[in-house]
Amino acid sequence: MIELCNSTDVVEGEILRRDVDGLPAVALTRHEGQIFVFPDTCPHAEESLSEGWVEDGRVVCGVHFAEFELGSGEVHNRPAGCPNLTFFTCEDRDGKVFARLKEEA
Amino acid sequence: MTMCRGSCQGAGRPDMTPVYPTAGSYPDFARLVNRDTAQVDRRVFSDEAVYQAELRQIFARAWLFLAHESQIPGPGDFIRTSMGEDDVIIVRQRDGSVKALLNSCPHRGNRVCMVDAGSKARGFICNYHGWSFGLDGGLRGTDGKVYEKDESFEKAQIGLTPVAQVASYKGLIFGTFDPEAPSLEEFLGDFTFYLDIMLDNEEGGTEFVGGAIRSEIDCNWKFPAENFVGDILHAFWTHQSGAQAILGGGVDLGKRYDELAFQASVYGHGIETNLDKVGNTRTLGYPELVDYVFDLSERARARLGEVRARAIGAVSSATVFPNMSFLPGQNTFRVWHPRGPGKIELVSWTIVNRNAPERIKDLYRKGVMMTFSPGGVFEMDDGENWEYSTRVNQGFVTRQQPLHYALGLGSEDLERNLPGIVHKGSLNDANQRLFYTRWAEFMEHDNWADLQNGATAAPARTRAAAE
Ligand code: FES
Ligand code: FES
Ligand SMILES: [Fe+2]
Repeated sequence: MIELCNSTDVVEGEILRRDVDGLPAVALTRHEGQIFVFPDTCPHAEESLSEGWVEDGRVVCGVHFAEFELGSGEVHNRPAGCPNLTFFTCEDRDGKVFARLKEEA
Repeated sequence: MTMCRGSCQGAGRPDMTPVYPTAGSYPDFARLVNRDTAQVDRRVFSDEAVYQAELRQIFARAWLFLAHESQIPGPGDFIRTSMGEDDVIIVRQRDGSVKALLNSCPHRGNRVCMVDAGSKARGFICNYHGWSFGLDGGLRGTDGKVYEKDESFEKAQIGLTPVAQVASYKGLIFGTFDPEAPSLEEFLGDFTFYLDIMLDNEEGGTEFVGGAIRSEIDCNWKFPAENFVGDILHAFWTHQSGAQAILGGGVDLGKRYDELAFQASVYGHGIETNLDKVGNTRTLGYPELVDYVFDLSERARARLGEVRARAIGAVSSATVFPNMSFLPGQNTFRVWHPRGPGKIELVSWTIVNRNAPERIKDLYRKGVMMTFSPGGVFEMDDGENWEYSTRVNQGFVTRQQPLHYALGLGSEDLERNLPGIVHKGSLNDANQRLFYTRWAEFMEHDNWADLQNGATAAPARTRAAAE
């Protein structure tokens, strides 16, 4: 797992973007206390999800308004051809957020 | 500006800053209105070059009615309308302010918003290549797969062109494409005194009820605008049968006509009124509304003074130059959008006091539909006249004949202490002469200093004296 930030940096209802060496940028948000980590790149047309917002338990892409359920990633208000969003496994370890960003052994 | 060939090596990014039109001067067209002889040349109703000049000189500069605040109460609420022939989106921002945006994509020009109105929009997405714009019109994104990989692409300065100025007067939102235009209040001038008859006769102001009714009439936009600015004369003939059907008698301007009726004009905006208290309201055919307006008028005396309190429901009509009109007491409110010299798109609404009882609002809505909708008793009467006036004026020989706008020459009332240029009697062409004088001022002048200080400017009477 890769360390992303302090867990206090992830604020309820806000989306935080993190650049990671050698990997595409990721986004983090907190909903009802729980932290979620997902690609910053929208699976629809690759715009930045951190420029969108969280509404009713969904990440909303600010460009064509695809909505992804936090956790399952299921897409709603779906632009044609837009797949679901894949969330990364993450953990809050002693105040630090770690996530599994690629298949690791 | 030339487009580079091939790879555009070294070419800068395109400058996407909004371009606002500049005005010119058309003295030949201005002379089509002859103030000395009270005549208007018929070419103003049919000539394509005159029409194009109107779009430039008038519709690209004047403050134009966009929406009532009540139509877009919350963030993301929007309506689509026109300014001249330009399609615009009027949208409430998250901070509560209102923006007006040209409804055309800066990419290939496609229409961005297709629907007439909506609420809680998140933004506007163009249907052609998916460019997405925020409520403020700024480009929010496109297609990251393509544009994010193009190093030269800079979305920060791209967006829907904002209408240069937007402002409200007592619930009515106006906009102008001219960054140099004076404030809305200066543009309206002392005419706000008369607008308040409808907009501010009671605490709480006004709202639109029901939806908009859209229709097309094959007439030049100035015929309806001049009709509402000061033509009660036509009511006795055009609306005679309709009036008899609803009122059981002809149009009646009240027993004290000679003493009370007047026309007032400021910068081409005009009202004619007979101060008979409820004449317009009676034409809706609901006695309950008449009682309501009698009562309203009594209560409004402290707020508006005697004259304006009597005008709330009186036989009267008004136009704000160039193309917004309403009937006090009858409560139809409309805009005549030009669609070429020989066609208009008419959009009309019913305006009511926000604090009126629901039942009263509903009666107004029904009454207005029965009288001033495309199938309404009075609207049908008017439309036919305007269509024939427009069509016949196009005849080659016909259009060389003069038209008569001379009723009430020499009837200016210099005694009466009311704002604006005031004429005695409502049966008068005075406001129509001043409407066309204003039209000629817009044709003639390329600057606001001249526009605001010509023959249509109100004499400096004090409002305080009038109230
Ligand atoms: S890029 Fe996110 S919805 Fe289109
Ligand atoms: S024309 Fe609007 S996105 Fe291309
Ligand atoms: Fe009429």
